[in-house]
Amino acid sequence: MEIFLILGIPALLSIAALSFGKRKAFGVINSIGYLAVLSAGIFLAKKVIFSGCTYSFFGFIYLDALSAFFIFVISVVSFAASLYSIGYIKRDIRGAIISEEKAKIYYVLFNLFCLSMFFVPAVNNLGMLWVAIEMTTLVSAFLVGFYNTKKSVEAAWKYIIICSVGIIFALLGTILFSYAFSIAGLSKSLNWSDIAPVAHILDKNILKIAFIFILVGYGTKAGLAPMHTWLPDAHSQAVAPISALLSGVLLKTAIYAILRFGIITIKGVGFAYFSHLMILFGIISLVISCCFILVQKDLKRLLAYSSIEHIGIISIGFGLGTPLAIAGSLLHVFNHAVTKSLMFFGAGNIVHAYKKHNMNAIRGVIKALPFTGIMVLAGCFALTGFPPFSIFISELLIIIASFVNGSYLVAASLLLFLAVIFGAFIYHFGRMLFGNLPKGMAVAGEPLSGKLAFLFLFFQICAVGIILVFVKKDLLWITERLFRG
Amino acid sequence: MQGIILFASLTSTYLMVIAKRTPALIRSFRYQSFCLFLLTFSIALEERRMDLYIIAGLLLVIKVFLIPQLLYRIIKRINANEDLGLFINPQLSLLWALGFTYLSWIFTAYLIVPSNQAQASILAIAFFIVLAGIFLMIFRMTALAQVIGLLVMENGLFLLASTVSGGMPFFVEIAIFFDVFVSVLIMGFFVYRISRLFTHIDVNKLSRLKG
Repeated sequence: MEIFLILGIPALLSIAALSFGKRKAFGVINSIGYLAVLSAGIFLAKKVIFSGCTYSFFGFIYLDALSAFFIFVISVVSFAASLYSIGYIKRDIRGAIISEEKAKIYYVLFNLFCLSMFFVPAVNNLGMLWVAIEMTTLVSAFLVGFYNTKKSVEAAWKYIIICSVGIIFALLGTILFSYAFSIAGLSKSLNWSDIAPVAHILDKNILKIAFIFILVGYGTKAGLAPMHTWLPDAHSQAVAPISALLSGVLLKTAIYAILRFGIITIKGVGFAYFSHLMILFGIISLVISCCFILVQKDLKRLLAYSSIEHIGIISIGFGLGTPLAIAGSLLHVFNHAVTKSLMFFGAGNIVHAYKKHNMNAIRGVIKALPFTGIMVLAGCFALTGFPPFSIFISELLIIIASFVNGSYLVAASLLLFLAVIFGAFIYHFGRMLFGNLPKGMAVAGEPLSGKLAFLFLFFQICAVGIILVFVKKDLLWITERLFRG
Repeated sequence: MQGIILFASLTSTYLMVIAKRTPALIRSFRYQSFCLFLLTFSIALEERRMDLYIIAGLLLVIKVFLIPQLLYRIIKRINANEDLGLFINPQLSLLWALGFTYLSWIFTAYLIVPSNQAQASILAIAFFIVLAGIFLMIFRMTALAQVIGLLVMENGLFLLASTVSGGMPFFVEIAIFFDVFVSVLIMGFFVYRISRLFTHIDVNKLSRLKG
């Protein structure tokens, strides 16, 4: 039942935006809609975790704990983004950067984008999963090229081409999975609920090759290095609330797809194969992102490379595969989503006030935008894994798990790169946040809705960090259920 | 019969690899899609399956008529230079293509049991078409060539899916058709925008974003 609300509200809102999108109040209606989606998401998660997986709509939709968790994460970030959009779009209209007609298009695309992302964890059929992920690319390409400048169109083009090629490889992988399924003498089906129980009798060679294609294909969308090249361009050129959605949840939907196929591969081929590949790509992502973070000059690109870093950490966590590491990774999916969204909102406000992306030209943010400045400062510490914020806990879980697992090399490289990235972040943000204001820079007010979005996310970052210390046992229990699913 | 169709699709792919100008590329793409249509249609006749008839019909409408027509219209509207901008000349491209054919044959031999010759040749051709698509995307400079390369890859996958695993489930197939069509529309839109903003569609010169 809840799933129909979750899919229906964005669909209705996109239709409503077509006709009322120009009205000033539409932004508010939009975020009320996403508040409803968020509460439906919470109910859904509760229901699925306590009473097991559910089918609906003739088996087209299949929900287990894993998909409910991802739906919950998407609903949190999309609610925050819809709140932030109100003020952001209003300011752009007032500054004559976009017309009211364009604002309408923005809301239509925003809702379609969220709808396509909600579809990804909800569908049962692995072919439809592919279609849903391709849809997210197609819709968000417009949002990346939204401002229609040379840079943003270039970013959108690279985004759509690189991700489409990647996703074609994923389709090849999906076809090979279905081939493995059909030569095992089973009836033709791509439904996850049909494939997963019989994964152990599938042909091992084909599964191995198929999973490589899946990992390269969806890995492109997830931003795993070395297939990440579209990511910094797209994230830096998109509209700020969309950057948050791209980095916070779009990458995670691709991770979700990898996990689904990964579970089949684990059952069919054994754990070591999956584990080695995930850890390999994770470490490459960490190394590459670390190098680019150190020498970065552009604020939004800095945050984009940090997304690659965190995707690397998540993939290492899943690669380690002990319950502790998986708990850490899933938590990290949530924590990174909320923290990175907060940072992108902050970056959006900063870029708007200074009219620049270049970090060398941005000074004294705390004086110019006191509220945003303080939030970004806290977010910067949270993002680099400082206690008491939530990312600290999830990173700690993954590192502990790798020590317990005996993978000392993995643990050591994680610690090394996290330390370097921490230093780089503090250096970059310290220079931006403090210092003297550039000449002629006025202290500007900030819209209320933007502040609400910040507070909402900040609350999640702190609350999760603190609460989790006390409820470790429940967490492990939930993870075990996820793992079985 | 099927052997002849497969050979024709192989030939059309070779034509694409050595094409120098965009209209020629689109024309060969149309031939290739038509071969796929014939193949699907012949399988449908053999097995008397309604869903295959529908898929063959969709192939004919979308990939043989609509998409090439759309691409021709884009060329006309942006008035761009029709040269594809080759990084590698046609002769060398032909050598690459021969190499790809051999490579896909080896890969096929690794993947399936050698007893089934007919299936093996289809699989090899499908992989070759996918590789040719990648080749077009990398070694041709215009944005339109990249779109066509993507479509070629998709055609290869269609061949793979329809013959090897007996096709994807029906509604997935329909959804993929829809998806391909929408993506061509959107990419065409972006090609148009690029040509207006940059006054060319040479993707090699899109290099503002770095680092």
